[in-house]
Amino acid sequence: MKHQSDEHIMLKVSNGELELTRILFERYHVKIYNFILQMARDKSLSQDLTQEVFYKVLKYRHTYNKGKFSSWIYTIAKNTYMDHYKSVKHHPHRLDDVEHFIKDTNQNSKIDLEITDHLNIALDQLHPSDKMLIVMNRFQDIKYQEIAEILGSTPGAIKTKMHRAITKLKTVYLKTM
Amino acid sequence: MTCTEIENRLIDYINQELDTKTSDAITHHLDTCFSCQKDLEELKKIYHDIEQVPIVIPDNSLRENFESMLQQEISLEKKKSITSFNWKTVFQIAATIILMLSSFFYGKLQSQKEHDYELASINAEKQEYKQQMTISLMDHNSASKRLLAVNYVEDIEHPNTAILEALITKMHYDNHINVRLAAAEALSRFSKNEKVRKALIHALERESEPDMQIELIQILVNIQEKRAVPSLERLLHDQKTLDYVKDQAKIGLPKLI
Repeated sequence: MKHQSDEHIMLKVSNGELELTRILFERYHVKIYNFILQMARDKSLSQDLTQEVFYKVLKYRHTYNKGKFSSWIYTIAKNTYMDHYKSVKHHPHRLDDVEHFIKDTNQNSKIDLEITDHLNIALDQLHPSDKMLIVMNRFQDIKYQEIAEILGSTPGAIKTKMHRAITKLKTVYLKTM
Repeated sequence: MTCTEIENRLIDYINQELDTKTSDAITHHLDTCFSCQKDLEELKKIYHDIEQVPIVIPDNSLRENFESMLQQEISLEKKKSITSFNWKTVFQIAATIILMLSSFFYGKLQSQKEHDYELASINAEKQEYKQQMTISLMDHNSASKRLLAVNYVEDIEHPNTAILEALITKMHYDNHINVRLAAAEALSRFSKNEKVRKALIHALERESEPDMQIELIQILVNIQEKRAVPSLERLLHDQKTLDYVKDQAKIGLPKLI
């Protein structure tokens, strides 16, 4: 079972073998957690939202459409994050949030910290949809084709938007250096 | 390639998503162009820095919470499968429901027959009343009231002869074009009636307003009224006819002959 594809396992889950969700949890929870953390920049909130994503995978297992599993779970993750984002009516990040983030990652070297810090500040100045594209493509290594599936767009359109988003990030990032 | 073109392709260049020819051209350009070199270095730096961002491992409560949620869902699933297979109870409940429903519908059917009869006569009276109202409103002084009356006819499914005659009069003689247009449109729905067809042909013969001419041509072509052909030809040869009316007649004529 350990070597079976995500899709195969998810099909079995939707047919009632619920225990197999554990394998999918092991394969995906760190990725989904980091995706949400990168967007929300809040550890305990990201834990809660990741939990919610897997709850939805279980609850809505019958709606799984046999497509690529990673696209499906990222779609759920994106919607979960967006629902949360809309419900809090985005408040600008306070400085102590960033400090909190720095403290949390203090096991890494100082240089890493500075880079992460700078990147986060720059990313937060972008439009949330631009930020999400960069997080998906550059941080999570998701290909244009799959991002298009997750966001309900076309690979061509995603590529164009992605180029624009990177250019914006570059300008903002280099300014803050 | 210009610098702007190069700039737009630098991301693809780094990702190695370009064909060799384009890629080589960019490499060549970069050898000499300082500003594009700078652009490339900046992009590389961003990409490199993003790769330095560490992956954060969630603490263990996430797994624990997931595990308890999973157990809950599994026990819920078991409960569901136990309750759903008690066929005897299911059958008993179904039989009771069918019995109740059938007695209800039998009773309803009985009383409905009487109601239907009463309702039919009330409806007939109502229609009659509505038609009379409509006719009297058609002679109102105000054009908007007359227009309203003409539009009322659309709600009447089977207008009587009096209504049709009133509409025909409106289409021929009302001095307001909008009323004439609406009357023609309303009449087009009753094109099975011979009187209506003749009236429509006659209207085209006497009408001089271009908008109304167009409307009538369209109606007559739609209902395939071949007796309108002479009127259409007359319109085509008349010098007073406007060009766009002639165009409409030209489009319509072949469909009739």
